[in-house]
Amino acid sequence: MIWKIAKKEFLLNLMTFKFAVGAVACIVLTAVFMPILAADYQQRLGTYNRNVGDNETELRNVKVYRSITHTIYRPPAVLSAFSAGMEKQMVGNAKIELDKVPELSVTQRKGNPYLPIFAVFDESLIFKIIISILALLVAYDVISGEREQGTLKLMLSGATARHQVLLGKIMAGLVTLCVPVAITFVIGLVILISFPMVALSGSDWVRIGLMFVASIAFTLIMYQLGLLFSCLTRRSAISMVLGLFVWIIFAIVIPNASVQLATQIRPLESEEKRDGRMLSLKNDLARELGDIKVDFSSSLITSDEGDVFGGYYAKRRDIYWLHAEQKLNSLDIPVKLRYADKFWELEHSNLNSFFGQRTLANRLSRISPISIYENVIAILAGTDLTSFQDFINQVKIHRNEVVGYIRSRTDNFSSASFFAVCTEEESAEYTKLYLQKEKAGDEQAKARAEQALKEWELENPVKAVSLNLQDFPWFKYRPTLAGDLEKAIPDLVMLAIANVVLFAASFVAFLRYDVR
Amino acid sequence: MLYQIVRKEILENLMSLRFTLSLVLTVSLFAASSFVFVDDHRDQLQQYWQKTNQNLSGFREQSAQLYKLAFYDYDIYRQPKLLALCAGGFEESLPGHFTFDAFSTNLPQLAGQSNFTLPRFTNLDWVFIVSLIFSFIAFVLAYDSICGEREKGTLRLILAGSTPRATVLLGKYLGLMLTLGIPLLLGLLVSLIIVIASKVDVVSPALWIRILGIVALSFLYISIFVFLGLFISARTTRSSISMASLLLVWVVLIILIPSLGRLISDRLQRSPTPEEFGRAKAEASRRVEDDMSAGKFGERAGTQTPNPKECNPPARARYANAEADAENRVIEDHHNKMITQAVVGRNLTCISPAVIYQRTSEAIAGVGINHCVNIYQQIKQYQVQLKEYIRDRDREDPDSLHLLFDDENSVAEWNAISKRPVSFDSVPKFQEQDLALGQSLKLAIWDIGLLALFNLVFFTASFVSFLRYDVR
Repeated sequence: MIWKIAKKEFLLNLMTFKFAVGAVACIVLTAVFMPILAADYQQRLGTYNRNVGDNETELRNVKVYRSITHTIYRPPAVLSAFSAGMEKQMVGNAKIELDKVPELSVTQRKGNPYLPIFAVFDESLIFKIIISILALLVAYDVISGEREQGTLKLMLSGATARHQVLLGKIMAGLVTLCVPVAITFVIGLVILISFPMVALSGSDWVRIGLMFVASIAFTLIMYQLGLLFSCLTRRSAISMVLGLFVWIIFAIVIPNASVQLATQIRPLESEEKRDGRMLSLKNDLARELGDIKVDFSSSLITSDEGDVFGGYYAKRRDIYWLHAEQKLNSLDIPVKLRYADKFWELEHSNLNSFFGQRTLANRLSRISPISIYENVIAILAGTDLTSFQDFINQVKIHRNEVVGYIRSRTDNFSSASFFAVCTEEESAEYTKLYLQKEKAGDEQAKARAEQALKEWELENPVKAVSLNLQDFPWFKYRPTLAGDLEKAIPDLVMLAIANVVLFAASFVAFLRYDVR
Repeated sequence: MLYQIVRKEILENLMSLRFTLSLVLTVSLFAASSFVFVDDHRDQLQQYWQKTNQNLSGFREQSAQLYKLAFYDYDIYRQPKLLALCAGGFEESLPGHFTFDAFSTNLPQLAGQSNFTLPRFTNLDWVFIVSLIFSFIAFVLAYDSICGEREKGTLRLILAGSTPRATVLLGKYLGLMLTLGIPLLLGLLVSLIIVIASKVDVVSPALWIRILGIVALSFLYISIFVFLGLFISARTTRSSISMASLLLVWVVLIILIPSLGRLISDRLQRSPTPEEFGRAKAEASRRVEDDMSAGKFGERAGTQTPNPKECNPPARARYANAEADAENRVIEDHHNKMITQAVVGRNLTCISPAVIYQRTSEAIAGVGINHCVNIYQQIKQYQVQLKEYIRDRDREDPDSLHLLFDDENSVAEWNAISKRPVSFDSVPKFQEQDLALGQSLKLAIWDIGLLALFNLVFFTASFVSFLRYDVR
């Protein structure tokens, strides 16, 4: 019997105007905008590839270990077409530096700052808005409409149990709404993979599968919500008005109000306080660096040359200067490294207050199933905030590896190769010849010494060779599927619970429904 | 007769569930948004004045030596506006911190502590409530105004008498507008009472005119949706179909089209990435350096020694100024491109009345992206003014070389600009100027015209449709 009811209901639904309009709107929108979204992804991927390529070529030309200050870029998420999330807000790159630990806050505030006037468009918007309204429209008159037509009496006068009717209606709604959801997903995916630069991996397909499940669960929630109102009211016009008002509260009011509320409940620490602490830490660092006294007084000559990433390397040094600089580096780089961690702690605690607001806003907005759904899709697409955090954490690990690498290569930053391309022997020889020239008694001796120095310089040209980066710890960003799934589970469970609760509520309401 | 129809419409609407729900929803939103606004605005004003005074006292210290005025790093923050209550213009997410000295302006930055982890920060301002909620409510109230009466059979009865169709349509329109006016005016009143009672800021007469302008604009905007609702209602025979169509129209006009701005502008008018900008800057300064090597600025333009006799100060000044100019050009070009991207995105989404309404209210309230651009331009003007002042005062000092250029060390060492103290009162100071009402209106006039055009189009459409409507 359930099956029959479901079939009848499904066929009826398929022929309605609202279904036709909703389904066509979804299909047209996906067909028109998915290519734009995919092209946009391609463009971002192109920029990313170019940046990474430029960066690597430059890194391969690095002459001294000190200049290893490359930038790590976050690859754009291929599924960002489904949910843009924070992808457009955050730039997603971080510079590797000895005296700074990368933190998420360094990855923003770049790019065009005038673009926040726009909301973002992605595939999930179609589900969030159009399919959710469609679900409400399909559901609002299932019970109250049948009562108005008088068919509900007829149906229940037979042996059919009320729960069978309700289950049949829910099944019909589910199947009906599955049609546009499935078509939208298929069209979207076909367009997406038809782009040459888009490559979906196995884990991406798992993500897409889960997105589909979440979309169905979400649509069912909206359908059951409509059903509940239909079971609670006697006139379908009223159930529709109720449904629409609840929808606008869920879709528009709650997501925006929760952000406002969160910023009110948990205000950020004042900027002065934070800047003050930052400043005192900076002063501490300056003092400690000032305490390091290295004697440069006997040093004679220096000559530098520009290196990659805007750095420079020492081309020629006399031995005194070389030793003094070696000593200076071995003393002050460890201090800088230590302070980098301290700065990071400070920045991190500041960032945590941001996250606190964000988490609170997310929690508050979870009253609305639309927000829950939005959140799940962003997590699954790998574009939510935590995926950026994850990226930064990986960059942090990479930075530590790079620091360790440089440390091991330069004997705790004390070797000359940290900043110079000349070796100690060369410098010693150079110094000797130079001093001979300087201390020469008469003109003849001076000319001879100068000649010797010139000859030596010709024999020993500056060996500006690039470093051998064979065992360099190259960075590879690995978005973790398991981690993302773990984060998505609470929201998925909430979607399921909401379904069960709504079902129970509409079940009770329908059992008590006056069919006359 | 018209009066009777209007009266009946209003009374019927007032008793409906949808009206009660709308009233509760909108008035509570207005109240909540005003409370939030008052809190925020108080903090923002306090911070703004604190920072501005800090900046000014720093500037005052520089007046001990004339040349230092030119090298002072000015910090300007965007002034928080009371009218952000009406239209916030997403200012919290837009750059509001400008740093500059007499020679160059940096790209504007985000001001202070804005939480970038939050989703795009929407202010719950009047414009938000009107453009999203009221347009929705207009549809919910209007969807069955014609086809609903047909379904009930009352439409024939009305038209069976001597009442012309035009009167019926006008009566329905006025009835709906007046019904919608109740929650709107009540909400605005509540909002204004909260803000005025909190004494957070003074509402000057000029502001009242702007507020009235925004209220009038809101009615113009809502009217579009009432006409559109009447139009669709007069095109359909069943109210459920009318509702479904109107919802689709609403989603497309209010949600989809405005959110396409970013996508479209990224595709059509993408501004250079930070990397490209960095390259352009490096390229520009390299070109000036080449010119310098070629001797374009005179001999020894690149040399800087503490003793001006050993180098060529006029050449050095020309070189430094050329370099600063080149960099400024790149920065300004980049800034213009970023603005263009935003503006292009917005212009192309102007098919949606919501975007037009947002833009117009921003213009009248003097907030939003135009506000930022305006400050940037004012800074440029101020730089000229400041340099002019320094040059003027410098002429009075016979010891100085009278060379103003962007290299603080050399200027100080060579005494290129006078080191005499000046009275701080005579120094021009930067003060953000609001756009005059006339200029704001000039910005808004096209958009107001567009909104009126929308009204006209949908009025004609609904009128024609209703004239041809089969009432059976």
